[in-house]
Amino acid sequence: MALGLGRALVRQWARRPGPQPLLPPRPPPSAPFSTDGDEFQSSRVKIFDRDLKRKQRDRAAWLMGGKDEFVDSVAENLLDRLEDCRKTFPTALCLGGSSEAIRRLLRGRGGIEKLIMMDTSFDMVKRLKDSEKNFPNNNFETFFVVGDEEFLPIKESSVELVISCLGLHWTNDLPGAMIQCRLALKPDGLFLAAILGGETLKELRIACTIAQMEREGGISPRLSPLAQVRDAGNLLTRAGFTLPGVDVDEYTVRYDSALELVEHLRAMGETNALLQRSTILKRDTALATAAVYQSMFGAEDGSVPATFQVIYMTGWREHPSQQKARRRGSATVSFEDIQKHFGSNS
Amino acid sequence: MVGASRALLLKDGGKISRALSDFLVCPLSKQPLRRCQDSQSLISDAIGVSFPIIDGIPCLVPKDGKLLEDQDVSKIENGADPSVVHSER
Repeated sequence: MALGLGRALVRQWARRPGPQPLLPPRPPPSAPFSTDGDEFQSSRVKIFDRDLKRKQRDRAAWLMGGKDEFVDSVAENLLDRLEDCRKTFPTALCLGGSSEAIRRLLRGRGGIEKLIMMDTSFDMVKRLKDSEKNFPNNNFETFFVVGDEEFLPIKESSVELVISCLGLHWTNDLPGAMIQCRLALKPDGLFLAAILGGETLKELRIACTIAQMEREGGISPRLSPLAQVRDAGNLLTRAGFTLPGVDVDEYTVRYDSALELVEHLRAMGETNALLQRSTILKRDTALATAAVYQSMFGAEDGSVPATFQVIYMTGWREHPSQQKARRRGSATVSFEDIQKHFGSNS
Repeated sequence: MVGASRALLLKDGGKISRALSDFLVCPLSKQPLRRCQDSQSLISDAIGVSFPIIDGIPCLVPKDGKLLEDQDVSKIENGADPSVVHSER
C-alpha cells in the first residue's frame, strides 16, 4: 500500500516538468498556467487532438474553394435566426469553423457593426483577413484573432452575439467552451451555434467498420464521436443559458464517389482528430471502404449520399427582462378554485 | 526560413487596432493584456506570458504564448499583483 503510494508519487514527480519543447524551464510559479505540462490537462478528459485540428484547419484554409453548398446552407440557416430577433447586435464574435461563410452571407443582418473573427488556425485567419478586400460592401468593421475556443481570449460582458458555425464539436470541453462564450456575452446577449450531431456520416461509419473488419480483422475509431441531440439541450442549460432552444436539421449531400466525400471533409477541416486514432490507413482498406460505401449506399446513377446532421443551439445570457418560470410553490391560487370558477359548467 | 519571413512580417504589420485590443484578455487568466511596442506582443502580466502579434493578428492560443524571462516576471510580481504571487505558493 505504502509502497504503491510511494511509487505513484515518484512517478508523478518524474512527470512534473513535462515536455516543454518551446518554452524555457521555469520554477513552479508558472506551473498552473502552463498548458504544455501534463499537470494542467491531466484533470480533464482529452478526446480530440487540438493541435492536429489546428493543422487540419491550416490545410483547410488552402483547400477551401469559395462556395460550399452544405456549409452555406448551414450558415444561412444560422443567420436567418438573427432576423427573428428584434434586438440588434452591434458587436459580434464569430468563432471558428466556417466563419468565412458567415461573413459572406451576413448581408447586414442583426445590425452588426463590429465583427471579431476567431479561429485556432493562423492560416485560416490570415486567409480571412486577406480576402477582406473582396467585401467592400460590408458595412461593418472586422477584426481578426487567433484563439482557442477552449481558452476564449475575450473580455467578460463585451459582445452581444457569439456565433459559431460548425466548430464547437471539436472541443474537448464543450460545456467549458460554452460557459466561456456565455461569460463573454453582455446580459441579454445571444449565443448561436451549429454543431454536427451523432447521425452525421453514418454511412461512412458503417462502411469503415465493415471494410476494416474484412481487411484487418478488427476496427479502430475512424470517425470522431459527436454530440447527440438530447445532449444539446442539457449542454445549453448546464452552460447557464436562458431560454434555450435546440433544433435539428439533416442534410444529404451527394457525391460522385466516397473519395470525393473525403476531399470535401478535408476542405472543411472536418477530418478525424481523435487523440486515440490509428495513424495508419492502408490503401487496401481505404479502397475497400469506398467500395463498400458505393455498394451499400450508392444510388442508381452512381452517386453516393452522405448524411450530415446539424444541431442548432440558441441560448441567451440572463437578463431581468427575460420571461422565466416562477419559483416552485410560489402560486397563490389553488387549482381547485380555478376549476370551481371555470369548470362548474362542464 | 520561416523565422525570417515571420520577422519581416512583424516589421510592417505588428499593429492591432485599439478597438480590438479593448476586447481581448489573456486566454488563461482572463486578465487584461498589456501591449509591448518593442517586441510587438501582448503581455499578460498576471501569468507572465507574452503572446505574439503576427501580421497584425494577435495569436492568443495558449500554445503560442512564451513565458517571459525570469527577471521581467519578478519585477512584475513584486509590483503589480500580490494576490497572484500569494496563490501560487
